[in-house]
Amino acid sequence: MSEQTTVSAEPMATEEPAAGPSPWSRLFLGGVGHNLGLVAVLALLAVVGVATADTFATTANLLTILTSASIIGVITVGATFVIIGGGIDLSVGKLMALASVWATTVATQSFGPWVMVLCALAVGAAGGLLNGLLIAYGRIVPFIVTLAMLISAQGLAERISGRRSQIVTDPTIAAIATTRLLGIPLLVYLFAAVVAIGWVVLNRTTFGRRTFAIGGNPEAARLAGLDVRRHTAALYVVSGLCCGVAAIMIASLTTTGSSTHGTLYELDAIAAVIIGGTLLSGGRGTLVGSILGVLVFTTITNLFVLNNLDTDVQNIAKGAIIVAAVLVQARARRSTP
Amino acid sequence: MSDHSRRGFLSGALGIGAVAALTACTSNAAPANNAAGAAPAGDNAEPGKPVTIGFSCPAADHGWIAAIAANAQAQAARYPDVTFEAVNPTTDITQQIAAVDTLITKKVSALVILPNDGSQLTALGRKAMDAGIPVINLDRVFDSPLAYRTWIGGDNYGMGVAAGTYIGEQLKAKGVSNPVIGEIAGIDNLPLTQDRSRGFVDALSSYGYSVGPRQAADFTAQGGQRIAANLLQAAPRLDALWNHDDDQGIGVLAAIQQAGRGEFLMVGGAGSANAMRAIKADDTVLKATVTYSPSMASSAVALARLVAQNRGMGDLVEKEVPMSLTLASATITKDNVDTYLPLGFES
Amino acid sequence: MTSLLTVRGIVKTFPGVRALDGVDLDVAEGEVHCLLGQNGAGKSTLIKVLAGAHQPDAGELTWAGRPVAFPSPHAADAAGIATIHQELDLVPGLSVAENVVLGHEPSRLGFTRLRDAEALTRGLLLRLGHPEIPPRREVGRLSAAGQQVVSVARALARRARLIVMDEPTAVLDPNEVRNLFRVVRELTAEGVSVVYISHRLEEIREIGDRVTVLKDGATVARDLPARTTPTAEVIRLMTGRPVEHAIPPPSAPPGDEVVLEVEDLAGADFRGVSFTVRAGEVVGLAGLVGSGRSEIVETVYGARRATAGTVRVRGRALRTGSVAAAVRAGMGLCPEERKSQGLLLHESVARNVSLPALGRFARAGFLGPDAESGAARAVMARLDVRPADPSRPVRTLSGGNQQKVVLARWLLHGGGVLLLDEPTRGVDVGARGEIYALIRQLAEQGVAVVVVSSEIPEVLGLADTVLVVREGRVVHTAPAAELDEGKVLDLVMGAAHV
Repeated sequence: MSEQTTVSAEPMATEEPAAGPSPWSRLFLGGVGHNLGLVAVLALLAVVGVATADTFATTANLLTILTSASIIGVITVGATFVIIGGGIDLSVGKLMALASVWATTVATQSFGPWVMVLCALAVGAAGGLLNGLLIAYGRIVPFIVTLAMLISAQGLAERISGRRSQIVTDPTIAAIATTRLLGIPLLVYLFAAVVAIGWVVLNRTTFGRRTFAIGGNPEAARLAGLDVRRHTAALYVVSGLCCGVAAIMIASLTTTGSSTHGTLYELDAIAAVIIGGTLLSGGRGTLVGSILGVLVFTTITNLFVLNNLDTDVQNIAKGAIIVAAVLVQARARRSTP
Repeated sequence: MSDHSRRGFLSGALGIGAVAALTACTSNAAPANNAAGAAPAGDNAEPGKPVTIGFSCPAADHGWIAAIAANAQAQAARYPDVTFEAVNPTTDITQQIAAVDTLITKKVSALVILPNDGSQLTALGRKAMDAGIPVINLDRVFDSPLAYRTWIGGDNYGMGVAAGTYIGEQLKAKGVSNPVIGEIAGIDNLPLTQDRSRGFVDALSSYGYSVGPRQAADFTAQGGQRIAANLLQAAPRLDALWNHDDDQGIGVLAAIQQAGRGEFLMVGGAGSANAMRAIKADDTVLKATVTYSPSMASSAVALARLVAQNRGMGDLVEKEVPMSLTLASATITKDNVDTYLPLGFES
Repeated sequence: MTSLLTVRGIVKTFPGVRALDGVDLDVAEGEVHCLLGQNGAGKSTLIKVLAGAHQPDAGELTWAGRPVAFPSPHAADAAGIATIHQELDLVPGLSVAENVVLGHEPSRLGFTRLRDAEALTRGLLLRLGHPEIPPRREVGRLSAAGQQVVSVARALARRARLIVMDEPTAVLDPNEVRNLFRVVRELTAEGVSVVYISHRLEEIREIGDRVTVLKDGATVARDLPARTTPTAEVIRLMTGRPVEHAIPPPSAPPGDEVVLEVEDLAGADFRGVSFTVRAGEVVGLAGLVGSGRSEIVETVYGARRATAGTVRVRGRALRTGSVAAAVRAGMGLCPEERKSQGLLLHESVARNVSLPALGRFARAGFLGPDAESGAARAVMARLDVRPADPSRPVRTLSGGNQQKVVLARWLLHGGGVLLLDEPTRGVDVGARGEIYALIRQLAEQGVAVVVVSSEIPEVLGLADTVLVVREGRVVHTAPAAELDEGKVLDLVMGAAHV
């Protein structure tokens, strides 16, 4: 290393940090460290679970939690990209519903499973692209564009399905939710794969790096020569693709395509991203945090069903836990700057 | 630059192709039209004076409501003396009020109304009645009898009783003591859900049984799957499960299959064609469903015609249609499923 | 002179940093007391202590003869201290009048009496020599200088006894500076005290009474006479070493190869601009704020769409309105507003440096962990960015080092054309000299440089050729050697004289 010694008589009034750990371990510690609050909340939920329900700590139950988390988790991966990039996507839930409906019409199903998958991905990506083009090139604020997309996707899904649940008759698609590899449901693998790909893209590619830059300071990114508009549009396509993947997953899990799928998923996804420590204004955030946020939500639901508690109590607790998680998170972050 | 434009062209062409292919995929070859109903018979089959029947119901967010609208339309088409005038379905109370108001202004001969909310449309029913238009109140009941000429609807409490009775009989026959009985309700804060659960508890208690794990979903397949998957973890062993609604039952059945469970029997609710086919095939845990049939819409239109034409119900002695008709909840099992299949609604 | 504010032995620590370590300050009634110090010397922290935003860990404050503490900004405000921050803290969506009375709205029964507020504001603006600013105009739509004036008006509206001004002239042109100084003199004549912070020693000589110098969080000299203390002495106190911050003269004439050609360029605020920059040449644009000089470089760079004209780099015409095309052709811009236009403040130095050249560190779009930190470290060493840690967040660096980070970005990208808009704004004296030397060094390596600056000596010292811009037109082009400060000032202000 050809590190030049500074020639100045006066070093700046800042101390050099002690030789840090390796980049990999720093990154891992950083990921968990930034989300200490959420890890604490999850641990607390686990303790409550073990104490109140003897079936909580079983493998089968933990896999149920992961399976429940898989669909909203995949959507949250896309939402994390959009929010770090300085945008917001309210259309995710209904884009997923639309893709699930489109992929399960009698006509689509007649072409077989691959066409169904392609159809879901294409519908998701096309919806995302339309969002992206209107936001990046049409200069309409993301909140409005994606809200409009939410409404129209819902309408289109109702129109195509005739407001009925379309049953998945294709055995391959139906089998996705029932297949297990090494005892673990395929859906959990899919979830893990999307998270892993998302993590690599966000942290280990120029695309991810530019996402942070554009979310952090779009003007600086533009003046550094980045094509901010094209990148912004691409972020919504990523989100749409995640909706397409989630559509296939939910079609398999519920064995239906329906316009009622994904209601309020946009709020769940955004809440998970925010309690995961991503700034709503963009530029900073972690995928690990978002996924922990999703796991907190699904574990809460699981705990309440295991203890046979009412839905209303569930919702009260959910709200309280969101606030608590954010408070703990903020405190943890202040003590480790 | 030429490289760019070629890429642009290619992706453009691909895009157009994809759109064309996707558009082709929206077609849902409609399943055989099996709207429930009955051809007119007896004296009342004779065409009477021509009448116009107005119809208003909520927008469909569920197969059951969709079937209500379809059944009403189909039944009206069976009468040559009926002009059917349906207003745009909506989930918004004010829009439904406005729509029914136009029917009142048009002076239709009779109105069939399934309100979004019984209480909130009572005044409107009253207004129609005061204007001399008889109102057939379908299912969700108005607060005041002055607001309708005749009420026809299902029996939510009876549904719970039917499900509880079936489960009680089956378990008693098997000789199970201390059975674990699960319940997956619809939306908990609806009175209809509370009535169903009350009937279920009452019927089970007559066998000395009680409800174990109970959770509410949201009448959607997605909610049914999510709640059932978790509930199955809460109860490692189940003897019976009542799911209030066959639409959400699709998700419940999926979750049961995904968990690889099958040690218990399941009873559905409402009576969808899909559930009936599963009962007939007898290859899942679903052994029965208790009806809350949307065929009531067909009957409501039939009643509206009779009321508007001042006729009574053929087999009854009275010269006028009764004030209130509560439909019985039937229990559909493998043995009688063929009788009911034509009344099943598509999810 | 009676003492208004006495500060003794103030200490303030943040986790890991001792920001203030024994600061003394005396401000007398009716004086302009100048606070000098390099970036990071503790000036900003001291201001925040005076404004009640930070609580000192130790030390005493005496206000009008009585010991005080300001537990909140409100307390400082109530005592009569108003602060005009460097980053103006106005609400852009409110009107001028609403901003002036913000927090002290004249009201009756809870309803703001807007008419009174507007009358008050109109009076204050007249007093400040800016009757042209309408009290109902939205503040966000005013120029930077206009916003500055509103901030001063706000301080006056609160009847402050002490006004702290943090680099108030950074965004002002000479005319506006003169106006500000007139206001300051009027205020002090009325007994109001001013704590004045600036990097421009000439200003301090002109307006200041006494000077206190901070270094590394401590007072190193206080109550020096502002007019008579020699510049060399002040710089020695600030830096701890005598520095030569004069601009080094070019060691060789620029080459012959024309790198950047701008022909008949026009935009919304300017037209008919033509000039060429050869390899190794520095072309300076001199002009007032609002003359169109920043708009010209931004249009050359593609950040604004040109309405006419062409920009060529090494003979190839660029697509207008495309920054990406300009960057591909080898241009780089260090923008005027470093923080809002140039930097990703929360990201590390390495990530800021690598932004335009990121693709180079990736294989098929994939980056290793800290892929670019080696290259960043090398280029940081070349520019002597301190501290030399590529993983440090940029926001923790001083203004001068932040500017070096932006320069490092384009040095790493290595394009050959550098556009510098106000390269030394908010940069302390020591770092200024280094940046001048760097620009010179880059030019000698064959980079074509365009410099925009409101400081005429800077343009004259750096540039080989100077373009004087007035009201959107280039009014004069000449070799720097044929110009002097007075002549350029005349040309720049030309319109005012006619």
